[in-house]
Amino acid sequence: MTRIWEVFRQAEKGEYHTHCGNVHAPDREMAKQFAAIQHGRRKPTNSIWVVPKDEVGEIDTDDVAFGGTTDKGYRWTTAYNLQTRQAEEVEESDAEQQDAEKRRRTA
Amino acid sequence: MSAVDALDERGRRALETLCLRLADDEFVLAERYTEWQVRAPSLESDLALSNIAQDELGHARLWYDVLAELGHDERELVYERAPDEWRHSTLAELPFAEGDWADAIVRSYLYDVAEEIRLSALEDSSYPTIADRVGKIQGEEGYHLEHAQNWMERLARDEGHERLQEAVDRLFPHALTLFEPCAPPRGAEDASGDEPRAAAVEDDIVELGLRDSTLAEMGEQWLSTVVPYLESLELTVPASGDDEEGYAVTDEMLPDQRGRDGNHTDAWFELHEEFTHTYRDLGREQATRIMDPPE
Repeated sequence: MTRIWEVFRQAEKGEYHTHCGNVHAPDREMAKQFAAIQHGRRKPTNSIWVVPKDEVGEIDTDDVAFGGTTDKGYRWTTAYNLQTRQAEEVEESDAEQQDAEKRRRTA
Repeated sequence: MSAVDALDERGRRALETLCLRLADDEFVLAERYTEWQVRAPSLESDLALSNIAQDELGHARLWYDVLAELGHDERELVYERAPDEWRHSTLAELPFAEGDWADAIVRSYLYDVAEEIRLSALEDSSYPTIADRVGKIQGEEGYHLEHAQNWMERLARDEGHERLQEAVDRLFPHALTLFEPCAPPRGAEDASGDEPRAAAVEDDIVELGLRDSTLAEMGEQWLSTVVPYLESLELTVPASGDDEEGYAVTDEMLPDQRGRDGNHTDAWFELHEEFTHTYRDLGREQATRIMDPPE
């Protein structure tokens, strides 16, 4: 019985596994091999996960009102005009928030 | 003085004969594998076999490129050589029964076990270019065998079992030709298919240290891997011998056409006609190259 297996690829140790596609395979072993062939041969790869598609739990906007749609900008340093250079993680966080803000506007 | 300049006539002939059999096996098998493109049972299995075919073509190129050190070029070897000058095992050339995936899998299994054995016999080759290239090829071979075995074990479980058995019956004798001595390329005064010459060149290959096992040793090693494995899948193997008595490839187990001596099945001449067709049709004097020669 062939199932669909979702494939998650990690480029380097310590990074997240990110979803990169799926494969049809009769079982886990074959799924791992097919995934390695299709997703591990052309890009540098440290690890691959395969997960049966029907084991993935999903909720979407029909089921629940997700957050992230109202402006809570006052919580973030981007709301304040700072003249000095910030610590790296603060700058990263700022960039993320600016990005989120942009997406809210274009959504 | 470079390694190739250090070879005398006997050494050159041995090197040439060894590399031809290696390269031709890989090239012809890959040519057959590609027939499965867009026809395999699923997209995944299609991609997996295509990948294997691509690997084998790459390996063929590595061996043809060693022959370049002896003054050959790929165009001449692949497109200009007469079909009876090819030295591959008949296992590589047999057509697939239409849609018979078990054939592709059994063939790949029988071949990849043999390839693993012969590569380890070349690891310490006295010819440096050979020794250098073995590691690169071995790196890609592991998954070929794993792929074949994964499929074998799954096909053996139910209705695939009968198809596996038919493929084993058909392919096994031809797989044994992997361990047959190879007639050296036809020289000006020599005829092809000359058995004593083939045996003499084969002796030279081992004596000169180009390969460190004899064909008989590799054949035994292959049988002692393949026979118990196939039997573990409840397949009947047309070979005598067992773990205690030992295994040996005997003459009566071999098919009429053995490939290594230039005698091939009719299917080979058709395949050769097919893959050289465009080259001849367009009156080419050069082969298309999309990659630089291997390092």
